[in-house]
Amino acid sequence: MIGVLVLTGFLGSGKTTLLRHLLQQPAFSRTAVIINEFGEIGLDHDLVEASTDSFIELQTGCLCCKVRNDLIETLDEMLRRRDQGSVPPFTRIVIETSGLADPAPILQTLMTNAAGRLVLDGVVTTVDAVNGAAALAREPISLKQVALADRLVLTKSDLANGDQRPLIDRLAQLNASASLVTADHGSIDPALLEGVAVDPHARSLALEAWLGEAANARGPAHARHDSEIETYAVVRDAPIHAIALTLFLEVLAEHCGDRLLRLKGIVDIAESPGRPAVIHGVQHVFHPPAWLPHWPSEDHRTRIILITRGIPRPWVELLLDAMEAEVVAAAGYLPLKGS
Amino acid sequence: MTELCTETLRELLAQSLTAWHLRGEVRSTGSGAVLLSSNATGIRVEPAPPGSPFRWQVTVNGHRRAALSLPAVLRRVRAALDPDYERHQVRIAPAPVMPA
Repeated sequence: MIGVLVLTGFLGSGKTTLLRHLLQQPAFSRTAVIINEFGEIGLDHDLVEASTDSFIELQTGCLCCKVRNDLIETLDEMLRRRDQGSVPPFTRIVIETSGLADPAPILQTLMTNAAGRLVLDGVVTTVDAVNGAAALAREPISLKQVALADRLVLTKSDLANGDQRPLIDRLAQLNASASLVTADHGSIDPALLEGVAVDPHARSLALEAWLGEAANARGPAHARHDSEIETYAVVRDAPIHAIALTLFLEVLAEHCGDRLLRLKGIVDIAESPGRPAVIHGVQHVFHPPAWLPHWPSEDHRTRIILITRGIPRPWVELLLDAMEAEVVAAAGYLPLKGS
Repeated sequence: MTELCTETLRELLAQSLTAWHLRGEVRSTGSGAVLLSSNATGIRVEPAPPGSPFRWQVTVNGHRRAALSLPAVLRRVRAALDPDYERHQVRIAPAPVMPA
């Protein structure tokens, strides 16, 4: 499997600087790069110096709205050239989106079209410590880029005057499940960007990090939200029947798919004791569950993290319980009871 | 929760209206049914009679139809109340988030 890392962030937030640094690190030496620039004349690709073990494909237009087919064709072409030996055998792909891109359609494209050889390795979003708060207040796309992140990288903190705590708190409100890394003059430890998808040895620890702080929260007091975007965790102690989980996800996606920015979780499936399922979805597109051989930590509860735009938590909680009750009743374990 | 009761169904339907940004009134009857009213639409949701292959029946302005499951109930209620409702089909990605 070749992991695909999506690097996003608002205009001027330091994506290219970060990428340039990463490509100089041994851990990223076998990395292919797609830079998506918005506009007829791209500049970012000139700013990234490709090493001999990485190369760059330049796209024009915005990946999220115009050239999704181009992304698939580009990925296919990259793999073909890799197979032919005409490019180095890269082991990772980084897609740097334009600063105005909505990452969700890009993730959906990767999830639905990258069958077999590619796997989404995570979403990294850069946030400018100087202008990030203003961008979040002014630009809805900036909110979404943060909300969809697995990891947030705070950039230009060396240039920022004053207390950065309000911005950090704001990021935690928008996406409590993403870990926050602070870049030092545009550089970070590459290990901090390692995804959960590719390295099976790091899987257990990474999975807990992937679920993040929100996974350990319980109750309304721990819900993180702003006026538009809310992150919360649905936690259950008892196992959930597989069909109940399927119905729950189906109803969520069917009725609120456009407002379900991201869902990820680890689920105790009644039919699979001791082997939890990892679930992951972006809007109405879901990966099939991945089955773990064992629980990654001592915490064996079902924990489902939702990042939503206005899907009320009480409805989600009730929906899951109702689906489980329906499945149990329909299976004849219990009669349907009128009160 | 281990069984589905009328009060839970009533609460689910009431919360569903909120989630869908619809206004309406939801109340339970003493006979195990839940009644919804929104604008000029009246809906009754109740368990299907014993022996039916369906779990539920949904009556919209006097027209009764069976529903196989709770998702079908929610779909029918939403369609009756929300003329702008566009169902999002779930799409399943070909690969799991992590390789087996």
